[in-house]
Amino acid sequence: MAVSTLYTPQALNSTCSISTPAKSHVGFHQKQLVFYRRTSKRVGGGGGSAVITCSAGDSQTVVIGLAADSGCGKSTFMRRLTSVFGGAAEPPKGGNPDSNTLISDMTTVICLDDYHSLDRTGRKEKGVTALDPRANDFDLMYEQVKALKSGVAVDKPIYNHVTGLLDPPELIKPPKILVIEGLHPMFDDRVRDLLDFSIYLDISNEVKFAWKIQRDMAERGHSLESIKASIEARKPDFDAYIDPQKQYADAVIEVLPTQLIPDDNEGKVLRVRLIMKEGVENFSPVYLFDEGSTISWIPCGRKLTCSYPGIKFHYGPDTYFGNEVSILEMDGQFDRLDELIYVESHLSNISTKFYGEVTQQMLKHADFPGSNNGTGLFQTIVGLKIRDLYEQLTSSKAAAPLEARKA
Amino acid sequence: MATLSGVNFVTPRFVVADAPGFGKGGPVKVLCLNRPWKRVSQLESKGLKGIRPVRAVPDSISEKVEKSIKDAQETCSDDPVSGECAAAWDEVEELSAAASHAKDKKKDDDPLENYCKENPETDECRTYDN
Repeated sequence: MAVSTLYTPQALNSTCSISTPAKSHVGFHQKQLVFYRRTSKRVGGGGGSAVITCSAGDSQTVVIGLAADSGCGKSTFMRRLTSVFGGAAEPPKGGNPDSNTLISDMTTVICLDDYHSLDRTGRKEKGVTALDPRANDFDLMYEQVKALKSGVAVDKPIYNHVTGLLDPPELIKPPKILVIEGLHPMFDDRVRDLLDFSIYLDISNEVKFAWKIQRDMAERGHSLESIKASIEARKPDFDAYIDPQKQYADAVIEVLPTQLIPDDNEGKVLRVRLIMKEGVENFSPVYLFDEGSTISWIPCGRKLTCSYPGIKFHYGPDTYFGNEVSILEMDGQFDRLDELIYVESHLSNISTKFYGEVTQQMLKHADFPGSNNGTGLFQTIVGLKIRDLYEQLTSSKAAAPLEARKA
Repeated sequence: MATLSGVNFVTPRFVVADAPGFGKGGPVKVLCLNRPWKRVSQLESKGLKGIRPVRAVPDSISEKVEKSIKDAQETCSDDPVSGECAAAWDEVEELSAAASHAKDKKKDDDPLENYCKENPETDECRTYDN
């Protein structure tokens, strides 16, 4: 145990609780530092001195899993999520410039591609795609996520997407919220048990094709055929290893082509479904008007005028892979601010801290893709739900020391 | 100077050892730098015919994408259902994603914004909220 004087408590990353010296945390694997503060401004009613126990390992690291195809830490979802908690997420300063990790004040986003056991050449030799579990080291993934969850820093390998090689590891310190994003967050059941919340981003084939065309057509060498061939070749592995993770997710964001425009193949107007599992601890699904009933809602009418193709909502209970779920669905686009605020005011259980928070978050990132449709809306709402889940989890864990403080 | 942007002799990529008269990757004499067309022909005469200029990262990723597509098409023409074919197209997908990320990163790269992120207290970076 190290005892030293503390002048700037803000420097600590882990949360501190004031406790009596006799209290001990038995049975946890954690690093404990005891700081003795000489001058105190606001020490729980006491006079000049108090003992502050700062344990990085109070298991207050909340772990979120996000399953998404091709995209790591730089994706829009991650940026929205980290923005809900405040601050922009940046790659670690002074480290490998090709690192996939993003760090902000509260969150650290880890890309699961870093746990590839085979680099690009290795996979080519064995004839194995990155989607195949044989290309990933799930044992290491489990060990390191477990370590971070219990407050121990780890040396995580780096998979360099530019060179296709495995670079020397970087140090990752346990954050308040750890997000693991990649192809297989829910594949291994040990890792799945460590997750406090899991999300699966399910893009339908038509929308995937349209998005990849937009992304790749400007690239030299790519043609419609090559893009199609690339999707087709990866499909068997995707269906076998990635898609089944859907059934384990607490929330699935499904992106489909719109039903408002017949024969639309541009993928600009989207139908997005937020499938929320019932009975998940600390997570209450979003609903429209009356929880548990089936609602069909077109907000455009007398109070709100929308431009073509308009907006259509649907909400109702359903079953999804044998689980009870609630589905909130939005088809169409937002064109104006007042459409967004109108819709927000009619949604319930969105875990906002003030009226208009969803709209504010969407406006903050109006340049992100999906900011005018259900993808942005539901990603923002899921971000708020995760914040709510984090606050519930940390307040329940702090409840015990709080009692000691009051006593 | 725009003329200097093309060739960099200090990078280890170039096989400088073959050329007589050149040191071990040492810098070129200043005289030559002002007349790149002359220098290129000098290089060729000294046997450095294979040098290609080092390009910025996004271009090389684009080249990688192009190459990987050609490789994938070749591999798959032999056997369209093999693991090698799937692995080849997976590589194309990975590189395409990396290329698009690099493009986005380049778009966001504003030198003033980057400077102000590190040094918000300097005069250029002061913001007035009222």
